[in-house]
Amino acid sequence: MEIKGEQEFNGGRELLYELLLDPDVLASALPGVERFEEVAPDRYESTMRVGIASVRGTYTGRVEVLEQSPPESYRLRIEGSGKPGGIRADAVVDLSESGGGTTMHYRADVKARGTIARLGGRLLGGVARLLIGQFFKSIEQQVDDRAA
Amino acid sequence: MTIADGPALPKLIGERVKRREDPRLIQGQATYVDDIKLPGMLHLAFKRSDIAHGVIKSIDTSAAAEMEGVELVITGAELAEHLGPMPIGTPFPAPDHFSVATDKVRYVGEPVAVVVAEDRYLARDAADAIEVEYEELPAVVDPEVAMEPGSATLHEGFERNIAVESYWGGTGVNPETAQPEDDSAVDAAFEEADVLVTQRMLNQRLAPNAMEPRGVVAQYETGREYLTVWSATQNPHILRTLVAAMMGLGEHQVRAVAPEVGGGFGCKINIYGEEYVAAALSRLAGAPVKWIEDRTEAFLTTTHGRDLLGYIDLAAKSDGTITGLKARIIADIGAYEVLLTAMIPTLTGLMMNGVYRLPVVRHELTEVFTNKTPTDAYRGAGRPEGLYFLERAVDMLARELDMDPAEIRRKNFVPADEFPFATQSGLVYDSGNYEPCLDKALEVADWQGMLAERDAARAEGRIVGVGLSFYVEVCGLGPSAVVPTGGWEHSGVTVERGGKVTATTGASPHGQGNETTFAQMLADHFSIPLEDITILHGDTSVVKQGIGTFGSRSQAVGGAALISAAGKAGDKMKQFAAALMTDQEVSPEDLVFEDGRIQVEGAPEVSKTFAEVADFAYVPVPLPPGMEPGVSEESFFEPENNTYPFGCHISMVEIDRETGEPRLLKMVAVDDCGNVINPLIVDGQVHGGLAQGIGQAMFEEVVYDEDGQPVTASFMDYVMPRAADLPAFELDNTVTPTPVNPLGAKGVGEAGTIGSTPCVVNAAVDALAPFGVTHIEMPLRPERLWRLIQENGGQS
Amino acid sequence: MSEPVPITINVNGRKRSAMVEARLLLVHFLRESLNLTGTHVGCDTSQCGACTVLIDGHSAKSCTVFAVQADGAEVQTIEGLADGGELHPLQDGFWEEHGLQCGYCTPGMIMSAVNLLENNPAPSEAEIREGISGNLCRCTGYQHIVNAIQHAAERMAQS
Repeated sequence: MEIKGEQEFNGGRELLYELLLDPDVLASALPGVERFEEVAPDRYESTMRVGIASVRGTYTGRVEVLEQSPPESYRLRIEGSGKPGGIRADAVVDLSESGGGTTMHYRADVKARGTIARLGGRLLGGVARLLIGQFFKSIEQQVDDRAA
Repeated sequence: MTIADGPALPKLIGERVKRREDPRLIQGQATYVDDIKLPGMLHLAFKRSDIAHGVIKSIDTSAAAEMEGVELVITGAELAEHLGPMPIGTPFPAPDHFSVATDKVRYVGEPVAVVVAEDRYLARDAADAIEVEYEELPAVVDPEVAMEPGSATLHEGFERNIAVESYWGGTGVNPETAQPEDDSAVDAAFEEADVLVTQRMLNQRLAPNAMEPRGVVAQYETGREYLTVWSATQNPHILRTLVAAMMGLGEHQVRAVAPEVGGGFGCKINIYGEEYVAAALSRLAGAPVKWIEDRTEAFLTTTHGRDLLGYIDLAAKSDGTITGLKARIIADIGAYEVLLTAMIPTLTGLMMNGVYRLPVVRHELTEVFTNKTPTDAYRGAGRPEGLYFLERAVDMLARELDMDPAEIRRKNFVPADEFPFATQSGLVYDSGNYEPCLDKALEVADWQGMLAERDAARAEGRIVGVGLSFYVEVCGLGPSAVVPTGGWEHSGVTVERGGKVTATTGASPHGQGNETTFAQMLADHFSIPLEDITILHGDTSVVKQGIGTFGSRSQAVGGAALISAAGKAGDKMKQFAAALMTDQEVSPEDLVFEDGRIQVEGAPEVSKTFAEVADFAYVPVPLPPGMEPGVSEESFFEPENNTYPFGCHISMVEIDRETGEPRLLKMVAVDDCGNVINPLIVDGQVHGGLAQGIGQAMFEEVVYDEDGQPVTASFMDYVMPRAADLPAFELDNTVTPTPVNPLGAKGVGEAGTIGSTPCVVNAAVDALAPFGVTHIEMPLRPERLWRLIQENGGQS
Repeated sequence: MSEPVPITINVNGRKRSAMVEARLLLVHFLRESLNLTGTHVGCDTSQCGACTVLIDGHSAKSCTVFAVQADGAEVQTIEGLADGGELHPLQDGFWEEHGLQCGYCTPGMIMSAVNLLENNPAPSEAEIREGISGNLCRCTGYQHIVNAIQHAAERMAQS
């Protein structure tokens, strides 16, 4: 399943790039994150709690940041698993300047298994949009805070 | 001498007798497997793979094992010390298949570990607490890709994932050598043809979905060294044979019981890993254990049906005479071969002769492993696939030649005077008379009226089509030469004291109503009231021997065994009756059963009541010379051949121009299943079959994504036909008895499923023919139909 | 796991009290605790209707109701439908018209039909088909079920 979209931010893309790869920022911005640690350069481990319908559960995940080309783009390889199943995602993030702000384009190829996969068609897209929305809102807040 | 002055008993065969099974079922008093509770019973839950293909790296059961109330947690590798690979029922080569995966998983849902716990919820919690680490392997999901060199393979020793390859052609197979005879005639037929039809068609994967999921209760009694297994199965005797073998026991140490069974449709023929595991873990845990499948597990692990890809070619003359058929079939059988997996697709080719005279046929079959749930029988099992391919192709030929679909079939029918008819595939159709059946269907449906109605609807801008199909199928599965488990059936008939009758049958029903039809047959045979008869089934400790219920064999094989045993019991009753009437010099041959009496034919005053004779049989003073006391007889009936019922289905479909949603407006079925014991039950069987055949045409499909993840694993995503989706069916029949059993009954369980699927698709194609459409893949999803309309700019 | 919760449910006219886990489904309470095994489980997503019972007179899928949610309610199951020895007209209709084969969906189907006829004593064929579309039957193709409900509706109209 492919999840893609774009999001406008007020700040410049250097700032955004930095924020998006800062473990502390991510830990506070990602919804339901209980733990987000850098275990090696550009490799993170996290524990995340999702409380939505049948994908409810605690997930442990690994995130690897690849192909970094600041401040334009990077790639994430994400793996997570919990009781309702697991996901693997390969995401590409592109940042471009637009007006005074930055436009972020993201595209992720998500593969699910377990209950998540079986109910995925009807649920996963919605859950992902909800979580991504919450994440952006929080990042936006932090951009505004830093910019201010 | 006394004469009972009872009223004359009506003959019951052929009557719409209401079912004797129903009072318990409509009052919630029936006992299905999940209703069984035993003292000290523990519950099983399976940890199942959530990936399609991978190597098991590690399994951590510690958290599960520590939970309070968990008795035992065992992995596949550990269980393999107690249970070997599972047996199959076909002669084809098959890879090892363990009840619980030992080193590799090959489909989502394959078990990797088992929990035994005090209650059902706790067992599930514990299974969830098991952690499994896999090294994932590429998933094989497309059978055509699976056969390409370089594709990942599921099983060692099965190159290119090919399980079975078969080929026959030309003028048939040489029975001596099993090799195709001269095949050049096929090529010649296609070179000389006036017209050719070529089509790739998918007969999609389906989930049988009996409303009762599978379930098993097993109780191993250590002191007695005796195992009892209750299971939602179609064939308890096969279960007994196989579970005994897996447990290292003799059949004398195992009792298998099919209690009330909530539907089968083929998916409860296979003996599953869970049944063996329950038996083994009952022995290990020293307690009875229960496992009940939930619906998601059913979608993942109960055998699927169909999933055949066909490349079909038909050659014909311009007058519509079919001159040749070529079929290349690829069967996606899933990850393993279970009981009958590899045999089912072979039935497709065998039956692709249909009702036609086909001068030459070439048939190629390849069965392929993929990372999906194993396939096995599903209502019709092989025949719906073959008849779908053939009846779609014949319909395309009719369209190509602008011929009426009824007339092109009539032109190619095997004529009535050519039966028994030997097909190109080596079968011998027992009996048939196709034209009257076609004519009756055209009349009942008012075919000409339907065509006019369609044309009028089109003139209004509606999208409406009519479809017709004519099928023949193979029923009454036997004889033993073609059924790996044995092709006979067994029955016992005991006349009890007081003249009541208890009969047993190995044809273990799960909705077919054998308790009623079999009692009707005995009531007529002995001329006693229906209420005086009990039919027992499903318990190997009561029913001495049996095969089971599949392949529409209950009546044609099981009923024949019953009548044979009843004949023997009746003969003995007549001998005892004659002994009671020695003063009147009566010989047993002169006696008949009439209204509760055994009497000299035509002389009711010379008689004894059935009850009197039965009482005498158990206290025979004096014992007639050469006789043993009592009346309890049994019979094994082995049919000499299968039976070949047939029928014609006609339908009308409308497609919504805006949404593409199809609606079945009319469904007519005229079937010929030979002699009918109970028309009410036969109608019910046809109705249910039609609904499933229509379900395949219009709604149902098991879908996997490119990683082998099933995405239709609940009733939210797998579309089952509901009441509002179906029209009222119009039924009629013709009667062409079979000569292969004394009843003349052919079997009807699968008929509706076989004819209706191509019939409805033919109607949908007819509806969209003005848009240039010649074929539509199943199911008839609104989106698919909408696109076909749009591709033509929405204009017909 | 949460502490057991006390509940009292009036089932088929009889008051039944128990301590149950909060997550215990009503269908399991009926089947396991009360041994009322006439109510069946056919799926896990409340699509099939095999578990249909009446809660305070309304049909409900008891696999989607926790036992604690039915606390204080009146529940009627298939076992409570016949009046003494006399079958309910719907039970009789299903028998007369061969409205069942394997019988697994039947209790839920009948309980849905009870609710249907309460709301609409003389339903058309289309209304019956719509009315039982929350219940799946794999055996009958529904036709004899429709006949059975019509049979019952006619009988109930006469009495």
